[in-house]
Amino acid sequence: MSFQSYRWAFIGWLALIVMLAVFPWLMPPVYFVSLLFTVCMYVTLATSWNLIGGYAGYLSFGHVAFFGIGAYTTALLMKGLNLSPAGTLLSSVPAGMVAMLIAVIVGYPCLRLRGPYFAVVTLCFAFVVDLGVKNLDFLGGPEGLWLKSMDLPIEAIRGILFEAMLTIMVLSIALAYWTSRSKFGAGLRAIKEDEEVAQTMAINAPRLKIQAFALSAFFPGMAGSIYAYYLTYIHTDIVFDMMISILIVLMALFGGGGTVLGPIIGAVSLTLINEGLSTFVKAELARMIYGCLFIGVIIFMPDGIIKYFKKEKGLGSV
Amino acid sequence: MMGAVYALLGVGFSLSWGVMKVINISHAAFALFAAFLAYTLLQAWGLDPILSISVSVPLLFVAACFIYRILIIRITKAKEVIVSSMILTFGIAIILENLMLLIWSPDPRVLTTSYTSKVIIMGPFYFQYPRLAGFLMAVIGVGVIQFFLKKTYIGKAVRAAWQQPDAAQLYGVNLKRISMITFGLAVASAGAGGVSMAFLYSFEPHTHNLWLIYLFLVVIVGGVGNVLGAALAGLIIGIITGLSLAFLPYQWVNLLTFGLLMIILIFRPQGLFPSEV
Repeated sequence: MSFQSYRWAFIGWLALIVMLAVFPWLMPPVYFVSLLFTVCMYVTLATSWNLIGGYAGYLSFGHVAFFGIGAYTTALLMKGLNLSPAGTLLSSVPAGMVAMLIAVIVGYPCLRLRGPYFAVVTLCFAFVVDLGVKNLDFLGGPEGLWLKSMDLPIEAIRGILFEAMLTIMVLSIALAYWTSRSKFGAGLRAIKEDEEVAQTMAINAPRLKIQAFALSAFFPGMAGSIYAYYLTYIHTDIVFDMMISILIVLMALFGGGGTVLGPIIGAVSLTLINEGLSTFVKAELARMIYGCLFIGVIIFMPDGIIKYFKKEKGLGSV
Repeated sequence: MMGAVYALLGVGFSLSWGVMKVINISHAAFALFAAFLAYTLLQAWGLDPILSISVSVPLLFVAACFIYRILIIRITKAKEVIVSSMILTFGIAIILENLMLLIWSPDPRVLTTSYTSKVIIMGPFYFQYPRLAGFLMAVIGVGVIQFFLKKTYIGKAVRAAWQQPDAAQLYGVNLKRISMITFGLAVASAGAGGVSMAFLYSFEPHTHNLWLIYLFLVVIVGGVGNVLGAALAGLIIGIITGLSLAFLPYQWVNLLTFGLLMIILIFRPQGLFPSEV
């Protein structure tokens, strides 16, 4: 692609972001703002999961843990320090940091494991955090925690929180874009192809993996923090729901792991499909259709939608 | 006591992981399906849960063979079979779970038979009948699978395919057929395991997530593909959870179990009893 077309692509993206940012202030029904909020949240989650899962090929099934940790950090900070609404929004930064710190601590031993073992150990990690939080009384325990909402009409609250989530989403996509073009991303791809060879090529695999894991935990932590403020009530069954973890993995793989656009497309389409299905049919039936979707994707497009269509159109390899 | 039941549940899981490199996330969901089937048969016709196995095991075997033929065979050529199989079978697990929710509603169920409250007393020990039934079923089940693998022609072919798939094929082992049978058997054994679990615990359509963790625990501690290792691991885990129940409140026991699994994974991913086939 020439420089010119890059610039047009950039302008296009910028216009899209501005349109999204303006949207909640045009007085649309609250439902649409909430829907967009959810979409942005899943795009953030899938994009950041993609750093470790898509580029490096380490499938983490425990990313919901970081999401929940972010949510609880904000709730505790708000309770403990009596934060103002603006302070609570900003507390998403320390929330992300806490998630990152925990990712480093957990990632150090766990990232030595490969393939299914890594998947299982992260799954276990999510369960351990979930059960641990549920059983500690100062974290609200089985009753959950309440957060004080802002003294504003609901449209304004949703609008503000949507802007916050949009910012996080844009940042996470920017990071993903940078990764895809940097030496860092190339190193991660090399690890996915063959870790031993990568290591002999002077790629410091353990360090890169930890960095990727920590970065991929940071944004879910922030997203969790905003989500907690959005719900104003958090409970382990909500913010540590295993389904979120699995959805993240699916969205990224559905769109195409290891690409910038893949997780975005996957998250947007799956969230909309889910929303559409659960409005029109019974929840159980909707989930069954969802299950079928998994099977269909893995059988017919094992490399995700993007690569599938690129192959179909003969646009060359990615 | 519970250990043997975990082992029966885990054996099939271990088998399909070891032989076919397929991690069957829906394994526990199939087990739960058999448990619900036993429950319905008991409610409707008063059929003993032990006898219900004669219905559920063949049913699951056939269903699994179909699933293998239609779905799993397509991903066996993928670059990362294990990962693809996890996602694929996860889809199956979701479908099964919601099917069970539709049919049986989310209420917890218990298998209540005429002998539920009966107890045998043997010296200082006393055994509850249903636990004993679950235990015996599990022991017999694991025994049958071990016998099948070591003594029958198909079982030997399965082990051959496991050690050297290409060489086994050269010696006239039909790899596709063997894989299909292995998968069928694995899922069928899950059916038996599910019914024996149902003797011990109450269950509802979401329970299979918890059972799945026990599966991973048993299989990873025992070593992937090691039938006797899984049995031993099941016993050890049964003892640990049993003992920790005496000291810890109930909700901490699961935390301990998951923590244990994490620690074992980090320090000994090959399991405590590495597979010798």
